[in-house]
Amino acid sequence: MAISIRGVTKRYGSVTAVDEVDLEIESGQVYALLGPNGAGKTTLVEILEGYRQRDTGDVSVLGMDPQRQRNELNRRVGIVLQRSTPMEGVTPREMLDFTAKLYDAPMSTNEALDLVGLAEQANQRGSKLSGGQKRRLDLAISVIGNPDLIFLDEPTTGFDATARRQAWEIVRGLTARGATVILTTHYLDEAEHLSQRIGLIKDGRIIYEGDIAGLRSEMESDTRISWQLPPGFDLSDLPHEWAALKAGADGRLSLPTQQPTAHLARLIDWAGTRGLEEIPELQVERPDLEEMYLELIDNSEPLEQARSQ
Amino acid sequence: MSAVSAAVTIRTIRLGWAYMLLNMRTVFRQPAAVLFVLLFPILFLVIFSSLLTFEIGLPPEAEGNVPAIKFSQYFVAGITASAIFGTSFNLLGTSLAFQQFDGTLKQLAATPLPKASFFIGLVGTALAYTIMQMVIMIALGVAAYGIELPDAGGWLTLIWIILLGVPAGCVLGIAITRVMPSANAAPAVIQLPFIILQFISGVFFTLASLPTWLQWVSGLFPLRWLAQGLRSVFLPDAYRFAEPGMSWQLELAAVVLAVWIVAGLGLAVLTFQWDRSG
Repeated sequence: MAISIRGVTKRYGSVTAVDEVDLEIESGQVYALLGPNGAGKTTLVEILEGYRQRDTGDVSVLGMDPQRQRNELNRRVGIVLQRSTPMEGVTPREMLDFTAKLYDAPMSTNEALDLVGLAEQANQRGSKLSGGQKRRLDLAISVIGNPDLIFLDEPTTGFDATARRQAWEIVRGLTARGATVILTTHYLDEAEHLSQRIGLIKDGRIIYEGDIAGLRSEMESDTRISWQLPPGFDLSDLPHEWAALKAGADGRLSLPTQQPTAHLARLIDWAGTRGLEEIPELQVERPDLEEMYLELIDNSEPLEQARSQ
Repeated sequence: MSAVSAAVTIRTIRLGWAYMLLNMRTVFRQPAAVLFVLLFPILFLVIFSSLLTFEIGLPPEAEGNVPAIKFSQYFVAGITASAIFGTSFNLLGTSLAFQQFDGTLKQLAATPLPKASFFIGLVGTALAYTIMQMVIMIALGVAAYGIELPDAGGWLTLIWIILLGVPAGCVLGIAITRVMPSANAAPAVIQLPFIILQFISGVFFTLASLPTWLQWVSGLFPLRWLAQGLRSVFLPDAYRFAEPGMSWQLELAAVVLAVWIVAGLGLAVLTFQWDRSG
């Protein structure tokens, strides 16, 4: 296992940023921590990287505790931060020459430059690099030490479509070298393109863990029936088995199900017994993965319900 | 020392050197920093010396027939001391604050650069700049302001003053980053104490012209001792009678600077933050 954590919690005042998280990540995998902004991805990753101290729980990263063995860990881990600034006035070549000196068995500066496609800008001052080029430099800095584990925190946020594709190619090139990669992202397609396994994180908890195909089949098998409660009715009027449904922000009720026909029949039956001729806003749809993801990170409960049914 | 710890020490120093070279590039390639750090004391020297042309006489206790000196000569020693302290204090305080707030140090903290190497690199950067600056200022002092090159003993004093003054300025510069609310506030937070110290430490005015209690206050801080030590290097020996204690008090200067280094180092280590970008 590259990473193994149990019961990790981190609180800031009354906010629980990471809530009793257990996670195991195998060596050589690309693992995506997926979730919306503020879900706790960065806090969790920074606990693994050694930047933050956990309140409770056990953490093992490459067999070490980042809280106590950070210096040792730093020799074997590469980190691309969410936001970073190249040292003013230093060229990529100078920065990489320096960084290589810090590691026991680094790749050459030229190799690192080629890996991220920055050979042409090797001798430009850091401040003259474009946003994408700075990001590539970050990548090169993090991998020049031939790390066993690489953390990429939202590597393509703010990129246009072309730049993202290029960045993905670079990341694939890195993973081909056999390192374990932990990627945080809020883009589903990024996780899909790059990772073998994903952990969906929301409100500090991991709400799905597995491969992306599993997520796809689980999600896509759910058809969604949605409707609006007619005026004068409230949730308690619905059949008992739907008592746990909650209205969304737009007031719609949404029922994910693997037996849409049966549920629809019940709903129509219910409407008939209440003398309703029309159920307002009734829709039956099979959402695609992206939509399901967006809904999931908006409100995680439907998925858990669907799974328990 | 075992072979392992010797290897660790050598690695720490080697990486500290590498970081110093990298860090010097970043400072040198920022015109604003070069202007502030290297040129300011020189500009001050030129401007003040042309404005303040009075002479400093000796008190009656002085023996022999010593000619009066111009204030500019007194000022060269003071502003050179100010440059030693300022280069380390200003340069480190300001550039570190920027690097704490923009995430540069956060990234550095992810590498296996030993913390000791990082601090060695910082102090080394300040030392290198100070030496460059000393060469310029002493040359200017000799060429334009009647300073005489020191004798062997004077050079020795100059060297230990630099070797104590720069680390003292560095650790205080590192420690003061803790109270900076933002990167933009860094220059102001740094300049305020520095300007006050310059006024009360015998840089802009002679120490003897200050009220006694202010002389005491300035005696608590490093700058006054640096200035006094440099006057011992650059002024005729008889001018020790113009000092508050009728002596250069070099031993006391060394003690005060050493205490500041130890206290400042403790403070810097306890309060230093790699990352204030979040």
